[in-house]
Amino acid sequence: MEKISSSEGAVPMQVQAHKSAPRQTSKRLIVLGTLVVLALFPLLQITFDGYNYWLHMLLYVFLYVIMATSWNIIGGYAGYISLGHNVFFGVGAYLAGMVFVFFQISPFLTAPVAGILTMVGGLLFGLIALRTRGSAFIISTIALVLLVAELLDNWKLTGGTNGLAMSMISLEGQYAKIPYYYYLLVIMVLSIITSYLIRHSKFGLALRAISQDETKADVAGIPTRRYKILAFGISGLFIGMAGAIWGSYLTYLRPSIFLPVNIGTTIVLMAILGGKGTVSGPAIGAAIMIAVNEFVVAKLGATELNIVVTGLILIFVLLYFPEGIVGTLKARNLLPSFLDWD
Amino acid sequence: MIEVTQVLLLGLALGGVYALMSSGMTLVFGVMRIVNLAHAAFIIMAAYIAFWMFKLWKVDPIVSILVTMPVMFLVGALYYRVLFASRADKSGFTDITVLVTFASALVIEGLLSYFFTGIYRSTNPVYASKPFLVGPFFIPQSQVYATVISIVLIVSLWLFLTYTRVGNAIRATMQNRNSAQVVGVNVTWVSMITFGIGLALAGAAGSLLSFIFTFFPSKHVAWIGMLMCLVVLGGMGSLMGAMLSSFLLAVIAAYVSFYLGPAWAPITFYLALFLILLFRPQGLLGKKVEG
Repeated sequence: MEKISSSEGAVPMQVQAHKSAPRQTSKRLIVLGTLVVLALFPLLQITFDGYNYWLHMLLYVFLYVIMATSWNIIGGYAGYISLGHNVFFGVGAYLAGMVFVFFQISPFLTAPVAGILTMVGGLLFGLIALRTRGSAFIISTIALVLLVAELLDNWKLTGGTNGLAMSMISLEGQYAKIPYYYYLLVIMVLSIITSYLIRHSKFGLALRAISQDETKADVAGIPTRRYKILAFGISGLFIGMAGAIWGSYLTYLRPSIFLPVNIGTTIVLMAILGGKGTVSGPAIGAAIMIAVNEFVVAKLGATELNIVVTGLILIFVLLYFPEGIVGTLKARNLLPSFLDWD
Repeated sequence: MIEVTQVLLLGLALGGVYALMSSGMTLVFGVMRIVNLAHAAFIIMAAYIAFWMFKLWKVDPIVSILVTMPVMFLVGALYYRVLFASRADKSGFTDITVLVTFASALVIEGLLSYFFTGIYRSTNPVYASKPFLVGPFFIPQSQVYATVISIVLIVSLWLFLTYTRVGNAIRATMQNRNSAQVVGVNVTWVSMITFGIGLALAGAAGSLLSFIFTFFPSKHVAWIGMLMCLVVLGGMGSLMGAMLSSFLLAVIAAYVSFYLGPAWAPITFYLALFLILLFRPQGLLGKKVEG
């Protein structure tokens, strides 16, 4: 037998890995294939035009996959549910947007910086809010998003409730969406890779220990407080970047677009519906929710019913389906291997 | 000096209503460890009942309490029975309830705006626009009535909890759910009643709110933000704490909005919440519990 080099390489695991080797290959092919298709998709728009609607829908999917996947790092792995994660989205958008309006530096350049600053903000907030657990933590995250929305509503510099207008990108309509598409695609892939790496690191193991039993994790010598804060910060990084890009994509920033409480709820719903604590779950949940929203709910006409349906699905999933799609299928060994990214 | 006293009076005149709103929420948390984020949505729902009774049949909003309280009691008992009763002893229950009640709030918001649109509403009985003039001071009549009724209701709640059998059972469940069960309290039934009472208080608050503030379906988000701050500041599950924090923050917010502008009043609430989480996470009068 060959020497076991992997750190988790108990012998039975090794055997299992050998057995499923062909499945592993086909899984990689499908995931890579999907990526290639996504990467080539704008070619259709460039050559034929008329695919802007689909580009827009995919941008939406990317955005929410980024948000749900990032949320999962603190909410899924560590079990600290944040209902206010769109605060990162808003902060990232406003940081890059203000730099653009006042200094004319493109959000395409400043997005990574906006992401890092958002992450620093997340670390600072985590220092305060992560002193609490459970419901008190959830409450503090809602309060955070309400507070930031209230501040931006009243801040003269950002135009208050009217917001900031940003100039359009200087490309013809046919190509205007494409830079945003690729930028968000890259952020999305990075966020999923980060989530995967965390899940397979000692850090990720510690986070999962925290979600199981924080006191025991503490006793076992895990620096729980530092890890939680770090996880909270990291979960803000890609959302902040995506926010910067999204603000520029919309060409205007308004608190009512980035900071309504139901965006935060939708993120949680997507992650839980897909399967919190898994790598692929939040991404799948996000894609499904957006499809349902676009093709079913929008047909009902009224946006009020939109909230009703979101709420009802969330209640149903929480009470009867808490492991989500990926979690449930995995427990029954029904999960197709190309959806199992753990 | 007159100015300072005047603002103090205005703050106190609102404190009672805040106390009524937060007492229902903190009671429900104390007994069942449910953080009812739909509390404000239920308050708005009751405000709509009061609004339509006023508009269609000219029923005074204060009188409408006689309807909103029992109706919301039933809604609450049913809501608890359907969604939470069978899950109360599971681990992670509190976290789930936060999300479920928040989702319920969105459902209520959506339904209210679907049926009644997002138009700003309020009832306007004769006393809504008249002030009491006491010496150099004025206090809106509506706020005085609302606060007096709120205090009466809170005192009745306290008497009920202290002197009746059901009240004792509720307090026993509050102190220790398992022990209460051991000595023969039917905690499921008690929980149902308590949730009913919590929402009955929300019902009364809705009736009163309908003539003090304007309301619309999505207003519940702002209210729940404020209520969370009151409940956490007072100490989750502590009725006295909720009373104290309500009057305290009502007065502070009155000063802030007088000297810095009304836009800063909500910010005061959120900052108070973060300060209390930072320095005394269990709240002013709360016991240290995990939850």
